[in-house]
Amino acid sequence: MKSQTAEKKYLPDMPQKEIEEMNATVKSASAKIIADNIAKMKKTDPNRPAAMRYFDEVSDFFGMRQKEIQAAKAQGKKVIGYLCVFAPVELILAADAIPVRVNSGWYDTSKFGDRIVPVEVCPVIRSTIGAKMINLSPYLELSDAVITTLTCDGMTKFSEILSDVKTVWTMTPPRVKDSAQSLHLWKEEIKAVKTQIEKLTGNKITPKKLKEAIQTMQKATKAFRRLQDLRKGNPVIMGRDAMLVNQMSMWDDIKRWTEKTDALCDELEKRVAQKAWASPPDTPRVIVTGTPMFWPDNWKLPTLIEEATPRGLLVGDELCSSDRVLYDPVGVDEWTMDDMINGIAERYLMASTCPCFTSKDGNEDRVNWLINKVNETKANGVIYYVVRGCILYAMEYARVKRALDKINIPVYYLDTEYTREDVGQMKTRVEAFLEMLSARVDF
Amino acid sequence: MYEALAETILAVIVGVGLALAGVLVVLIWKTDRSRKVSYLRLVVQTAAVVGIFFSFTQALWLAIFLLVILVATLFTGRFFCGWICPFGFYMDLVALVRKAFRVRYLTLPENINQTLHRLRYVIAAVVLVSPLFLGALTVNAQSQTNLLFLRDPDRSLGLMLSPLEPLIVPWAGSVATLSFVSWSVSYPYTRDIMFYINIPLVTSILVYFFIASTLLSTFLFRRFWCRFCPTGISLAAANRFKAFKWSPLLHINKTEEKCTKCGICKRVCPVQVTDVYEQKGGEITTSVCLNCTRCIEMCPYEGCLKLTLAGKTLFKSRNWLEPSKTE
Repeated sequence: MKSQTAEKKYLPDMPQKEIEEMNATVKSASAKIIADNIAKMKKTDPNRPAAMRYFDEVSDFFGMRQKEIQAAKAQGKKVIGYLCVFAPVELILAADAIPVRVNSGWYDTSKFGDRIVPVEVCPVIRSTIGAKMINLSPYLELSDAVITTLTCDGMTKFSEILSDVKTVWTMTPPRVKDSAQSLHLWKEEIKAVKTQIEKLTGNKITPKKLKEAIQTMQKATKAFRRLQDLRKGNPVIMGRDAMLVNQMSMWDDIKRWTEKTDALCDELEKRVAQKAWASPPDTPRVIVTGTPMFWPDNWKLPTLIEEATPRGLLVGDELCSSDRVLYDPVGVDEWTMDDMINGIAERYLMASTCPCFTSKDGNEDRVNWLINKVNETKANGVIYYVVRGCILYAMEYARVKRALDKINIPVYYLDTEYTREDVGQMKTRVEAFLEMLSARVDF
Repeated sequence: MYEALAETILAVIVGVGLALAGVLVVLIWKTDRSRKVSYLRLVVQTAAVVGIFFSFTQALWLAIFLLVILVATLFTGRFFCGWICPFGFYMDLVALVRKAFRVRYLTLPENINQTLHRLRYVIAAVVLVSPLFLGALTVNAQSQTNLLFLRDPDRSLGLMLSPLEPLIVPWAGSVATLSFVSWSVSYPYTRDIMFYINIPLVTSILVYFFIASTLLSTFLFRRFWCRFCPTGISLAAANRFKAFKWSPLLHINKTEEKCTKCGICKRVCPVQVTDVYEQKGGEITTSVCLNCTRCIEMCPYEGCLKLTLAGKTLFKSRNWLEPSKTE
């Protein structure tokens, strides 16, 4: 932990009273938003799976999971936060630390972030800065160190800003995947982070522990894929519910999450047998791709899609905050330390479909991922969601549109901000797109 | 008489051992899904070793074997190398020993690996031609055509069939490397070294050096010999020519959209084939691939990699993360 007296380079010194006031305001508003979002999800699907109750509980940022982590910390466990899905969660687990993702989804805090960085900066970053300024995010506050990955410009500078108040470990992903030297660099980065984790936690990452951690994550992937497979058929679960489950994997205890997800899948499989659909089977099926969306506030687009008239169904997404989180398992050839590290390095770099990569084939990995997702989920349309300032995703739109045009899937570019003000306008846009899709479905 | 008895006992031991090994493998198979095919392959290899062991003395069998191997590669690639070849099996066993020691294999730089693969054809050419001269020097009485494949009437084995040599040769007597009571221990190529280079001390040094170096290289690099083994001259390479485009029946098939380029297939390949990873999609025919299907077994994406025989899917990826019932 950084000492408070260290000179800050970015963050302003705000009076403690002001911080507390703002924290209280946003916190109470946030609690309301969480309750509101869950109430809306219940309303959309009156027959919501009973197993979702557990995920509702975990989704309360200031509730059970926070207390659990606090209790674990009191017993000497370390908490390691991370910002991108590049962070090797297996290594954190193997060192008996708790991995939590610390990106912020609060709309209100992005306004505090504006005090330091201009509004042109991606709101995910601004909001996370703001959350740090008023000590809002429980997971960011509890984490002893944060792993940042320099994927985009926002993340690069954000690491510096965050290092004012936190121990930050930066990992540089190479921007080109397909070369021996880039994999080499990434492997060294993984090894460096491993050393840091060992130093912080005081626990040595032994091959046995790492194997256990990898297998834990593989089991989680299995449950995760099981859920995604269930979404491929007729709508048995609403997209928002599934998205909530996906996101909770980044905060919850992964073993318990696996159990609960398996329980949810069991319930859903029963429903498939009973043909108890969450939504009429002819609901237009939509996939969202683009900037990551984070619980609790940035639930705008999924809510709009599933509450619109005509109603749409979110059957999948290509977001690093949801369907991409656990999709790839670490494949280990031989359980030696070296090979496990290799497997982890490859899983986090090569299998990633982040738009930060460039290749002569135009980042085809992401395009292929999306096309595969569209084919598998039989989606009718894709909404390309971009928040203002998210340059990488915005720039790749043209490429994705071309690829999807080829397989005759309509794409809709939806740009927005971390704000509630444009909900009305967005509603009109989303409904127009869904109407077009449902016309196509009928046709 | 003792020899006959020893042979019967040996056969019984081999049979019982094989059955027990089979049970064991089935048990392991059930628990570890990411190694299902690897275990199956070990069983097939063991059975093949036993089969070859009992047919090894018969010249006719060996001639048929060689013919089948060479012609089959035209259609199925180096399937023989991956699934049947005893030398390959020994190398896999060495790999198992290495795994037990928790030592990781090394990888050859790609360009060296490529060179070795190309060198295969040169070595094979030398091996096919050299008995004509070497044999003529040592055994004068034999016709040159006979020398090419069936070099010695007693052993009837060409250099090309040397990898098939079983480790235990009950009938070999003093010819094999190490002599025990009535049966001997042998090793691929050692008898050829002894046959061609017949200088007392040099021969045994050479033989032991050969054994040590092949074992060590296999311990360090997976399937090291396979990278330039002359028997593995895959006629599948003929598919580069238009006239033979139809010939390969056994393929590894890749679905482009499902591949995330996670690189697992590249890493697990025992002979470091990069084509499966690099090729964008479709049928992958490379004369280097052993068709051991380790890549398909380890690919974590359902249906991304498939093994197809004449268009029919034999099996596809994602054995180790089971699909759900709804699929």
